[in-house]
Amino acid sequence: MKNNIKNKSVPPKKDKDKDKDKVAVSAVYLRNIEKKVEDLETIIEVSSIISSTLDYSKLISLIMEKAKHIMQAEACSILQYDKESNKLFFEFAITGERVTSNLLLKERVTLDMGQGIAGWVAEHLEPVIIEDVYLDERFYREADELNNFKTKSLIAVPLVGRRGLLGVAMIINPKDKSHFSDYDAGIFQTFCVQISAAIENSRFHTESVQMEKFRQGLEIASVLQKSFLPENPAFTKGNLHVSAANIPAEKIGGDIYDFIEPVNGSIGVLVGDVSGKGISAALYMAKIISDFRYKSKTIEYPEVVFNRLNVGLSNSPMGMFLTAAYFIVDVNTGQFTVSAAGHPPFLWISNSGVKIMDIPSGPPLGIIQYEYTSSGFTLQSGDRLLILTDGVFDAKNKIGERLGFGRLVAYVKEHREKESLVQAIVDYLHDFSNGAETSDDITLVELKWK
Amino acid sequence: MKIETAAHSDYTVISIAGEIDMYSSPELRDTLLALVKKKAATVIVNLKDVKYIDSSGIATFVEALKKMLAYKGKFKMAQVPDRVMEIFNFSKLDKVFNIYGSIEDAANS
Repeated sequence: MKNNIKNKSVPPKKDKDKDKDKVAVSAVYLRNIEKKVEDLETIIEVSSIISSTLDYSKLISLIMEKAKHIMQAEACSILQYDKESNKLFFEFAITGERVTSNLLLKERVTLDMGQGIAGWVAEHLEPVIIEDVYLDERFYREADELNNFKTKSLIAVPLVGRRGLLGVAMIINPKDKSHFSDYDAGIFQTFCVQISAAIENSRFHTESVQMEKFRQGLEIASVLQKSFLPENPAFTKGNLHVSAANIPAEKIGGDIYDFIEPVNGSIGVLVGDVSGKGISAALYMAKIISDFRYKSKTIEYPEVVFNRLNVGLSNSPMGMFLTAAYFIVDVNTGQFTVSAAGHPPFLWISNSGVKIMDIPSGPPLGIIQYEYTSSGFTLQSGDRLLILTDGVFDAKNKIGERLGFGRLVAYVKEHREKESLVQAIVDYLHDFSNGAETSDDITLVELKWK
Repeated sequence: MKIETAAHSDYTVISIAGEIDMYSSPELRDTLLALVKKKAATVIVNLKDVKYIDSSGIATFVEALKKMLAYKGKFKMAQVPDRVMEIFNFSKLDKVFNIYGSIEDAANS
């Protein structure tokens, strides 16, 4: 600034009073100021473009055209960083001749980290100005050969967003001078901040659209999955009243319960938990429930159903398995038989107290060949059975503490007079977790004998 | 979760530390399936420093076990912490896995 003022040409002073507030400036100084104002205007224009559109390709082409114009450059290119392959690939390349620029993109030219000038910039996260690339050993000549383009001078700037490296932008060959200046580098870096913002905005937008599609898909899956469970979670048959609750940790889950009538006068109650959770568990749950309905028809013995299911699930994908308990209750006499496959014990609530029923059990279904067995009991008037999945006692509170089986049993002991234990426990879990994220699917089934 | 692999002349020890859950089990799966692919004769998983395992983690072991049984390979567990053993007992997985007190016991059995 000082230099410019020193070199200014001073006009003759004709009217001292009239011209006393005027400061004469040199033409060079004026041109510099004009250029800076023009650059600033372009940067402001680019800013407003970024906030007005999410069309990524259009946006980047536009910004690059502006950069090329403002910097009087022959070409401009952007290499995007692919985190998975740890490589850079040409995403946009604008030169005066469209045909040559398309070649780089068509051939999908990629650079490793550290390879070429762009690779160096990506690796070191530092911008570079190079006066003559052919004197720089980092320069990757193949891109020039492929493009039939002669790179002379360039500025390369890393594009960095909130989640790290996005790519590298390069402006190539000034038209009006032999190489770029520090001022050019400053302007181009400002452009690169805009380009990074545009890339991030567009990625966030694409991700949010994908998330929304995924969310809608999950909503549909959730409705579909509920359709696999019994239509009515509560019913009475003979002297037996059954009620259930199923709360998946996510929209969909891998817990199962089902009620069937295998033979006249008896009710079959299955409660199960597929390993894992989310989509894979939900899909496997759907397969298991249809297998169960098919294989349990007319079968009066729970162990026979389990043996058949175990064979059917032996080729489970990715080691998936099912822990389950299957009860068959005679609705006229209260006699019931139960088989267990690696499932948590059930609780027997009677006038005399609460008993933990850890009956002989086989391993979870779908792992190894096994001969399952069953145990037989008889319900007395007022007796209740509570069957649950581990999500009930694995529930966590806000400080990450698990409820635990012991605490659950203590709660049941204290509240065994409640009309609906299922509802009471669901409320208790709600209070216990107090807004903490549900970590596992929860299923509870209560069998009440009149 | 941290995984360390130590190859011995006739068995491989996979030592796991931390939590084996839905998020960490894919890495464990890759390690175990690489051994299965090579038809490793004996794999011993050392669970001494495992703090927690969920059913996704157990399924990863089940998959390795089933795949190794198919070519008569041996999948063994050693130094299972009490907390993990409780889960195994509760789920009757002690009927599924061969569990040993020490790596030496597992190697010599």
